[in-house]
Amino acid sequence: MDRNQLMKWIKAPTKMAHKYSLNAVYFCTGCGVIEVPPTITSRWDAERFGVVPTATARQANLFLITGYVSVKTLRAIIRTYEQMPEPKYTVGFGSCTINGGMYWDSYNTINQLDKYIPIDGYIAGCMPRPEAIFVAVTHLWTLIDKDMADGYKRYRKNYAAYRANQEMILGEMEWPPIFQTEVATAITEREG
Amino acid sequence: MRILWFVLSPLMALAVGLFFLGLSRRFMARIQWRVGPPLYQPLIDILRQFTQKSVSHGPLFDLGVVLSLASSFIVVLFMPLGGTAPLSSSGGLLAVLYLMLLGPLGIALSGGEAANPNVSIGISRKLILAVGYEVPFLMIVLALMTYYGTISIGEIVAAQRESASAIASFPLVFSGIAYLLILPAMLGVRPFEVVGAAQEISSGPAAEYGGPYLALATIQHGLTMFIGISLFVNLLWGGASNPVVFFLKMLVVFAFGFWVNAAFPRLRVEQAVRYLWRWPTLIAFVGLILVATIGR
Ligand code: SF4
Repeated sequence: MDRNQLMKWIKAPTKMAHKYSLNAVYFCTGCGVIEVPPTITSRWDAERFGVVPTATARQANLFLITGYVSVKTLRAIIRTYEQMPEPKYTVGFGSCTINGGMYWDSYNTINQLDKYIPIDGYIAGCMPRPEAIFVAVTHLWTLIDKDMADGYKRYRKNYAAYRANQEMILGEMEWPPIFQTEVATAITEREG
Repeated sequence: MRILWFVLSPLMALAVGLFFLGLSRRFMARIQWRVGPPLYQPLIDILRQFTQKSVSHGPLFDLGVVLSLASSFIVVLFMPLGGTAPLSSSGGLLAVLYLMLLGPLGIALSGGEAANPNVSIGISRKLILAVGYEVPFLMIVLALMTYYGTISIGEIVAAQRESASAIASFPLVFSGIAYLLILPAMLGVRPFEVVGAAQEISSGPAAEYGGPYLALATIQHGLTMFIGISLFVNLLWGGASNPVVFFLKMLVVFAFGFWVNAAFPRLRVEQAVRYLWRWPTLIAFVGLILVATIGR
């Protein structure tokens, strides 16, 4: 942890600030969320690294999706993600977000979360221990340092593809595209 | 000298307010047997928030935050922070009473533009709570103004320096106790954390703030704490002759407020108002009657 190195603060203040002030919104969908309360309270105390839970998407810059994602919650996840101010980072928690995990052939869960919103990193395991969250946070620090945690840029760039994927699962979505792109052409390209 | 204080006292309020925000997080962490964030964590947060992009919900949404922040800075100008107040000759306590309401009002204006139900609930709670503590607070201020025969904060501080401080003198001790009882409500900490209840109404009025708005709202929160505590030190604890002593006195009052914060759970909003209108109001009223009949 290089939080106390003054030179780094002078060189890249915004990057350092984004690293050490990760305000997380937890999307409590799956079983994995049971590991979050010990992480943020006295036993593991995530606040000493600047990781605190926030109540609303607007105040956050870290999005933790803890477990399997049903089609219904996918809609809420997308809305939450789009409401977060940039730069924002997402972490998928548990194997369910990677490839569906033990729910991969379920009729109402999605398998790869990365198809619908960009994910900066995953925590493998079913379910991961709180220590794994801290390992993930340190990895995220490295990614931010190297400008590799750029999920939000990928989302902006490939928005048409993401939106097309979202519409394939959710059907008609009740909010317009947030970036001006040709969603329709992307869909037709894929199908035709 | 006075020109210098115009620059110095808002800067001091800003620094001390942010320090209090950091200290409160550390303080709570230590009480809960945690390590807690570093003292400068609020600075990191504010830096992060200023560099994030955020949506605006309209011109009032922007202006409301600025209004509440500006009014808090102006209130600070009326405070003698261990020296002379920059605006000591213009209105004194009456102006402070009026300007202190602009803080919650600005946030209410700005939040109302966002049309988020959590924000609306938060705002109505904030105004209800403000009405709750404003009644005893008015009685306390009236008692002080009657007792010392002045509306200037600077003169009240000077009068206390000649005799004992107000909280240690006979009829005013009631006002002092009443102020201590409403202090957690003025600081917005538990048991009166009904406004920004994160688990219940997703941080209330701040629910729609992101990026720079949140940074400004955080600074405003720090200033509110600074004003609540420094009013107590000035009006009832005799002020101070230099800023260092003033800061130390504020630290003691702050520790009291956050000890209460750590020890009590949150009240519901009607319980909070019922409490505020019972004991603190009663004690402040007794104090006011005594001051009016006995006098100096
Ligand atoms: S990865 Fe395992 S623990 Fe996590 S949501 Fe899936 S089944 Fe549950």
